[in-house]
Amino acid sequence: MIEARELTIKYDQRVAVAGVSLKLTPGEVTAIIGPNGAGKSTLLRALNGQVRPAAGAVRLDGEAIEKFSRRSIGRRIAVVAQEAELRFPVTVLEFVLGGRYAWASNAGWGWETERDLRVAEEVLHETELADLSARLMNELSGGERQRAVLARALATEAAFLLLDEPTANLDLSHQATLLTLVRNRCDCHEAAALVVTHDINLAAQFADHILLMKHGKVIEAGPPKAVLTPELLREVFGVTVLVDAHPVTNAPRVTPVHSTK
Amino acid sequence: MTKRVTLRRTLIACGVLAVALVVAIVLMALIGSEALPVRASLCAIGSLGTNECGLSRDQYDILFQIRLPRILLAAAVGASLATAGASYQALLRNPLAEPYLLGVSNGAAVGTMVALVFFGANEWSRPVLAFAGALVATLAVYQLARGRAGATPERLILAGVIVTTFLSSVIVFVTTLMDATRIRSFTFWLLGDLSGTTKTLLPVAIAMAVLGTVALTLNARSLNLLMLGERDAFDLGVEVGRVRIVVFVVASLLVGSSVAASGSVGYVGLVVPHLVRLSLGSDNRISIPAAALAGALFVIVADTVARTIIAPRELPVGAITALIGAPLFIYLLKRV
Repeated sequence: MIEARELTIKYDQRVAVAGVSLKLTPGEVTAIIGPNGAGKSTLLRALNGQVRPAAGAVRLDGEAIEKFSRRSIGRRIAVVAQEAELRFPVTVLEFVLGGRYAWASNAGWGWETERDLRVAEEVLHETELADLSARLMNELSGGERQRAVLARALATEAAFLLLDEPTANLDLSHQATLLTLVRNRCDCHEAAALVVTHDINLAAQFADHILLMKHGKVIEAGPPKAVLTPELLREVFGVTVLVDAHPVTNAPRVTPVHSTK
Repeated sequence: MTKRVTLRRTLIACGVLAVALVVAIVLMALIGSEALPVRASLCAIGSLGTNECGLSRDQYDILFQIRLPRILLAAAVGASLATAGASYQALLRNPLAEPYLLGVSNGAAVGTMVALVFFGANEWSRPVLAFAGALVATLAVYQLARGRAGATPERLILAGVIVTTFLSSVIVFVTTLMDATRIRSFTFWLLGDLSGTTKTLLPVAIAMAVLGTVALTLNARSLNLLMLGERDAFDLGVEVGRVRIVVFVVASLLVGSSVAASGSVGYVGLVVPHLVRLSLGSDNRISIPAAALAGALFVIVADTVARTIIAPRELPVGAITALIGAPLFIYLLKRV
């Protein structure tokens, strides 16, 4: 379990996250939504120890996150962030095998084991990249590359997945495939996922919990039906919305009506 | 190139390069303004100098006192600069990073000159101060290049230009403190000159080349991830800060020891890693050790050209490497 208590994060004097608490429990998907600059990504970065909080604490399986080595965090928490920088030619397989780094007995120079290769093969298959494994990363389309980034995160076999706008570059079908993959990990592998997203309807369908943030604070947290109300969304986004039930999934469905201004 | 890098593949590639290196060392020792009898020379080299094999006293001295030390120094310098270049490129995610272009070589040159002017009698002061100079220049360039969005390739090269020109003026200033007879040999040395081997500096350069290459190779898998972004590497479990310090210190040791012995031989760290990556792929577990061996080969051949092309006069080896390196730099710049 990852638990953040009363987390406050500052950049110089500006407060990016103010007293946020949250829990990621195995088997559950949590989504963070909110306008740009709400502190969503900063919060995500604090959960794996990359951003140090000014106050509050992050605990991983009951222990302070600072007590873990980078490698042991790398085995427990995987991050899917914006695209990698690709200034050197790297194949998709090599890229995905990067996810096995934290498992190597000798991190600096070790070689991939049979098991590493099997895991890589599995995740490449899951992300529908098996046919592209020998291709160079910079020859792929934006969407294919984003799936490779997800494949690398899945290859870590981490129990916690932190995803920062994972569907931004994906077409309709791959958006659903990606979130189904994440959902499956949480249902079958007892993993927990945190997804930062701008797509409220996707969050409503795939998440068990939603954290609605604005100006670094949590405005409301709970199951989608409790959080995605016209009043709260209007307060946070300043937009009038219609919320009805999705005719197939029965999840809340949010449609903007018009701007209040 | 799309084949995955394995230990087997790495050993084969490095084995082939190592054999080529030994062959090159022996062959280049036979080439020079003074012709040596081939069979007797091979016999003497084969006996590691214990048997003169019928060589005259002069021929024996040319082979073992002049050519072989110079060739071994060329190998050490080439290996050091190529390894340092390959590591800088991976760490800084910049195919153009190179000790000479980043100003690191000039930092080491200033250190060496300070040692020569103020501690001239003590040869050990040269590699020590060269290392200090290289490290200071590295940190200065790194700090200058780091913007809010991290160090872009262009920013890094600009920072390198600034540090290089600043250090060049320091070099000019220190040169004025020297007497006129030494200035000419210094200008030669600055351009990269392998003729000034000494009994202290040669073993230092060889030891550093070997130890430095091993140390950087042992961080190659971490560098593979750093090459694709510092944040991602951190997320995947790389101790980014520790690896950065290792690369900066070890690369400065490599550049320091080679500049102290031979001045600033430019572009080796650019040309060699690029060719290695082109033929063996970007995996640092193969490209760093292969760059060391290929760098040694490259500088041995370049120096043989430098000392024979207008024999009995000699060119500084740095002139030859720059002649090959500068056009390649332009080509790479177009592709970044």
